[in-house]
Amino acid sequence: MKKKLTVADEPAEMVPSESHEEEENDAPCKAKRSKPEDAGGEEMVYHPVKLSRSDLYRPPSAEELNQLKEAESLFHCSLLKMQMEELLKEVALSERKKQQIDSFIQTVTMLIQTVPESPEVEVSDLSWLSSEVKVPFLLVPKATKGKFHMVPPASVDLIGSYPLGTCTKPRIRVDLAVTIPADVLHPKDVVNQRYPRKRALYLAGLAQYLASSSEIGSMRYSCLHGNRLRPVLLLTPPGKDSSSFTVHVHACPPPGFFKPSRFHPQRNNIRTEWYTGLQTSQSEGTEPPTPHYNSSVLGDLLPRPHLQFLSAVGSQCSAFTDGVALLKVWLRQRELDQGTGCFNGFLASMLLAYLLNSHRISNSMTAYQLLRNTLNFLATTDLTVNGISLAKDPDSSAPSMADFHNVFQVVFVDPSGHLNMCADMTACTYKQLQHEASVSMQFWDNPTVDGFHGLLMTPKPMIRTSDHVFQLCELVKLQSSCKKLDLLSELMDHSGNYVHTALPFILSLLQQGLGQRISLLTHSLSPDPEWSVESEAPKHKAQPPLCFGLLLRPELAASVLERGPPADSPKSAEFRQLWGSRSELRRFQDGAITEAVLWDGESMCQKRLVPRQIITHLLQLHADIPESAIRYLGALLDDVIKTGSEVPSTGEEESLLVVQSYDDLSRKLWRLEGLPLSVTAVQGAHPALRYTQVFPPVPLKLDYSFFDREKTSRSLMPKEGKPCPAYITPIKVICHMEGSGKWPHDRLAIRYIRTAFHIRMGELLKKHHNYTCKPCPTHLDVWKDGLVFRIQVAYHREPQVLRESVNAEGLLVVRDSEEAQALEMTTIHKPLLTSTLHGLQQEHPSFGAVCRLAKRWLGAQLFSEDITEDTADLLVASLFLQPAPFTPPGSPQVGFLRFLHLLASFDWRNNPLIVNLNNQLAVSDYTEVKNDFLASRESLPVMFIATPKEKKQSMWTKKGPTVQMLQRVVMVAAESLKLLEHQLMDSNEIQDVRVVMRPPLDAYDVLIHLNPKQVPLLVQAVDPPTVTFRRGAVAGSMSQSGGALPVVDYNPVSLYLAELREAFEDLALFFCDPHGGTVIAVLWKPKAFMPTPFKTSQLSARSVEVTGDEAKTIPNIDAILEDFQVMGKGLIKSMEARTEKWSF
Amino acid sequence: MAPSKKKHASNQACVIPGGFTVLSLQFSSVSVAQHKLYVKEHKVRAERSSHRPMDRTLFVLNIPPYCSEDVVKRMFSEFGSVQSVELRDHPGSSHESGPKISKVFRPAAKQGFKVGYVVFENASSIKAAKSHPHNVPLVVSTKEHPVRTGTQKWIQQYSDSFVHTDKLQQTVDSFMEGYDKRKKEEEERQKEEAEQQQEDEEGWVKVTRGSKGTKARPHSEAANKKTLQKEIRKKKRKELMNFYTWQHRNTQKEHIAELRKKFEEDKQRIALLRAQRKFKPY
Repeated sequence: MKKKLTVADEPAEMVPSESHEEEENDAPCKAKRSKPEDAGGEEMVYHPVKLSRSDLYRPPSAEELNQLKEAESLFHCSLLKMQMEELLKEVALSERKKQQIDSFIQTVTMLIQTVPESPEVEVSDLSWLSSEVKVPFLLVPKATKGKFHMVPPASVDLIGSYPLGTCTKPRIRVDLAVTIPADVLHPKDVVNQRYPRKRALYLAGLAQYLASSSEIGSMRYSCLHGNRLRPVLLLTPPGKDSSSFTVHVHACPPPGFFKPSRFHPQRNNIRTEWYTGLQTSQSEGTEPPTPHYNSSVLGDLLPRPHLQFLSAVGSQCSAFTDGVALLKVWLRQRELDQGTGCFNGFLASMLLAYLLNSHRISNSMTAYQLLRNTLNFLATTDLTVNGISLAKDPDSSAPSMADFHNVFQVVFVDPSGHLNMCADMTACTYKQLQHEASVSMQFWDNPTVDGFHGLLMTPKPMIRTSDHVFQLCELVKLQSSCKKLDLLSELMDHSGNYVHTALPFILSLLQQGLGQRISLLTHSLSPDPEWSVESEAPKHKAQPPLCFGLLLRPELAASVLERGPPADSPKSAEFRQLWGSRSELRRFQDGAITEAVLWDGESMCQKRLVPRQIITHLLQLHADIPESAIRYLGALLDDVIKTGSEVPSTGEEESLLVVQSYDDLSRKLWRLEGLPLSVTAVQGAHPALRYTQVFPPVPLKLDYSFFDREKTSRSLMPKEGKPCPAYITPIKVICHMEGSGKWPHDRLAIRYIRTAFHIRMGELLKKHHNYTCKPCPTHLDVWKDGLVFRIQVAYHREPQVLRESVNAEGLLVVRDSEEAQALEMTTIHKPLLTSTLHGLQQEHPSFGAVCRLAKRWLGAQLFSEDITEDTADLLVASLFLQPAPFTPPGSPQVGFLRFLHLLASFDWRNNPLIVNLNNQLAVSDYTEVKNDFLASRESLPVMFIATPKEKKQSMWTKKGPTVQMLQRVVMVAAESLKLLEHQLMDSNEIQDVRVVMRPPLDAYDVLIHLNPKQVPLLVQAVDPPTVTFRRGAVAGSMSQSGGALPVVDYNPVSLYLAELREAFEDLALFFCDPHGGTVIAVLWKPKAFMPTPFKTSQLSARSVEVTGDEAKTIPNIDAILEDFQVMGKGLIKSMEARTEKWSF
Repeated sequence: MAPSKKKHASNQACVIPGGFTVLSLQFSSVSVAQHKLYVKEHKVRAERSSHRPMDRTLFVLNIPPYCSEDVVKRMFSEFGSVQSVELRDHPGSSHESGPKISKVFRPAAKQGFKVGYVVFENASSIKAAKSHPHNVPLVVSTKEHPVRTGTQKWIQQYSDSFVHTDKLQQTVDSFMEGYDKRKKEEEERQKEEAEQQQEDEEGWVKVTRGSKGTKARPHSEAANKKTLQKEIRKKKRKELMNFYTWQHRNTQKEHIAELRKKFEEDKQRIALLRAQRKFKPY
């Protein structure tokens, strides 16, 4: 009982006590951070649940029992149920809002009903309209027959989601149907856009009248789902609620005015002669069908029956509105709920109605069950092949299912049996919907995933969802695509909207070309245009660029070869037609001669862009879209980790070289004869051996004349006065020796024995393989293939020995010690992590590159001291192991974006991050980890990462980050993500993704600028340096072995940083980019400047001030600043102390 | 800093509450800023150490990281010849460690500000040091004895890290020899003890576990704990949990209480999340 009570305890002291420091840390960046949720969120703290005994043990009422039971059995836990309820509360409209809406609707209705009549004129005569109001219609072609005059509407009714109760926040829209009186229209108006034009004129007439009214806030035009034939008038209330909701005024014909059979998908209602203006001899029978035009006019006839239908169904199912609301939230997070061809709330309600009618879900289900079952239905049903219909007994004139499938890609027929509600939806959009539904179902069934958060609360913008994204920038080019693809009749059907006409064809072309390389092709839905009533309707091209997203299959996407059918097969012609001149006959090793396309690409980073080559080639060839109109976003970030002069590479090839060299070394170590004990294991313990080193070590060729020589061993030494020699990373390798009774049971003796092993091993390697070696007490450096391996011998019982001691009573006590932990870390945990992540890289080829990008960012933003390499690798690993609600990242770019999102959005305070390496954790382990975490939150690291091997302590993040640093990381990550996504998605922006890699330096108190000559990793800097120095080494393979030992692990910058940190750790924090940073940023600790009483143990770099009998100490800043200079002599170029920022 | 300077006339020792005398220190003769050393005679009640004789040892605080023992020795030689200097991270008693470890085997020392124990040959030197005027600084790096810092120092460090293999092997060998010897002595001692356990005058024999000759392992804490736990488990097994009706009723009651508890907890968690606007989906 007692334990239970403390479960909900929260680290109350964690935040308030440090608040001063936080402020100091964040102050300079406050302007940037204007997220409202940050402000209030930090003070929230859990208090333990206090239930008195009588509360807990009072006899339960029947109702309470039921409630508890339901929570247990239906929702796994009551938490999910409550979460759902809270979410619904957030999106539901308040009573106050409803009243506001109702009163506004009333005024609007009154106003509309008093529209004055106007004399009858020709439709094409627009003189009756004042110049302030334009017709919301693209009048192409201009000529129209028929008469028009303004009259008050026959009726004004509410339609859509608001009367149904499924209207949700935000973006509240209320639909109002204004019925055009029958005498304005003519039954023949269906033909040649006459009705749609009259409808637009009617809206313009309304707008002209309403413009004079003071009770309307603002007026704009838009059109329904981007369909230019169905303009709507948007009205907002005046005053301060103007943005809280909009009223969409639709004009529609009187019920039953047109015969539904006229809109059969095979019928033609736009004459070619009228549309093209050319005389043709086609009779009505041979005219091409206009299904999209038909369904858009038909759609205007049916809103009222649809509303009646839905309210009849909804009234029977109590959770109907909640279910629709949840579905809408789910859709909106996936950007599927608006734009042309979207799956909007209306379709969601219709689908629910369909499922209720077909008894797939029952009326008594809860909202959560409705959502689940709907997603399940979507995941398993393919509406592109087997459409569904709500019509119970369609009349004989209604088209058959096959008719619909012939002309539409997705089929969902409405209750009347005449209208396909998914007429504008592309097959790709439906596939995306299906994919999302099945992914969601998967995560929901997985008890280790927080389904609620992942599926309903996490937005999935395309740039973070798709592995590669490309944009079609100049949409006007699609006009020529239509010509090239010969789409005149389709263009007529879409009333000249060439974007929507060409889109399905482009999609199927790409689908065909990319084939097995992608698992999903998605595209953005063009948003509904909005324009003011005073301006002309925007052109079709006036919309944001079309975005396409690719979800790659990692194993196939990067293949450079497209192998086609054999040369003599009939399919080869088809293949040649698709690929054009790129297709060649090739002979393969297995003797087959087939058509094939070979793409360019040598290194992995080039191969990853093969889809880009395919897309640009196909679009150019078949759709006349030049390469310049395509903006491909797949590898823009690769630049910052690119190395290699001849073939650009992002490190995959170099890492592979290192791993191969290491494999060779490990084999040689195994076979080494003449060691007193045998080797039991050789394990790599360096990021380069798991493909995650930001800049993997490159084999180097040395210029001996550049160096001094050591006297006895002739090893190379850095020379004073010359630039610092090239940095050579020692690659750590752990070599476990066999256990034996001969190992001493004493910590010191083990250390000496280990040294003896190092010496012996070095001698043997020199003798057998002629490797230059340098043994030390702690390790053995081996110079091999232009790389340096640092071998450390380990004895498995040593940590145990370090922990044991005999106390005064002669009792053997085991006490954990830091020394033992550090040793276990280097000899057990790091090697294990390295091999596990190495495995992960084999499974997900982009894992390493994501790690490298992530660590490059952390380094550049000066966080690499707080979030260590291992922590960063684990964070990235979690993206691959638990990608919910996404799929595992398939490209470095998307992985990096998700890494930033993880950093920025994870609730570190209340949740442990569980990285299920090798899938070793079971469900019960998850609960265990979470319970342990909650029980002792205060004592655990702020950033808690649990792995299968280490569930309780989070050893990787024990040393850091601190609360303040984590907060800063979160903030900078959020800012970087925002900036980066904006840069990537906005085609007008100048491309400089490096912006996110340049840290803001104005937050720091002292800047120490370093002499670039002495910064050995200068070439790795984010912005390539203007001057480079000769550093006594060039890339290139050395002779395999022998030669003098180079300068290993000599980096003045890190030596200087270590000295500074040791000397001034209680006064200041030091930050530096480990990859070629030329500035060290110093931040005084806020508490350092407070006078403290004189204490012999706290006197470092302080001076004493005497007031009376009391001696207080303050930091001796002048001397400290001089110490910075003294300690970094030769390395420092200048120092910039921003004295104005601090005070005592 | 400023007020204390004004208070005392120049050419005088500056003594602050606590009995420390302030000495100034600058890195080189051209340095502008000065560090302050705080010195006092070493006086500790408990300690009776031979290498920190009370009367001749000066306790120095706040020694900058670039002052090695040699530098400190040279600086304080101004007050009289120095016998030895000991630099440490924190003030405290010196504890000797067992066998002498060769320099390369010692873990790297921390390079922070240090406290020092300077042992003079004469007790009078302490007085000299304590009366040193605070405005005449000690100088760390002089022309005759330059102190290396920065790149010079790191290159030096790097070259120092080279130890000749043979020499290293020698150190290892000599240590292991000593270790084996100590081991043997220990064994011998134990054997002796074992022999002492032989039959005493009255004919009693003390019986211990393990075969003769092997060292008697000390009892370990872990073993103690294990036995204790075993006993508790034994006790528990004997108890009957659902024998009486009231026991049964109690478990039911507990179950409902548990559910309620969880419900309340979840409710609170939600309330917290709600307060943080965690349910706003967009």
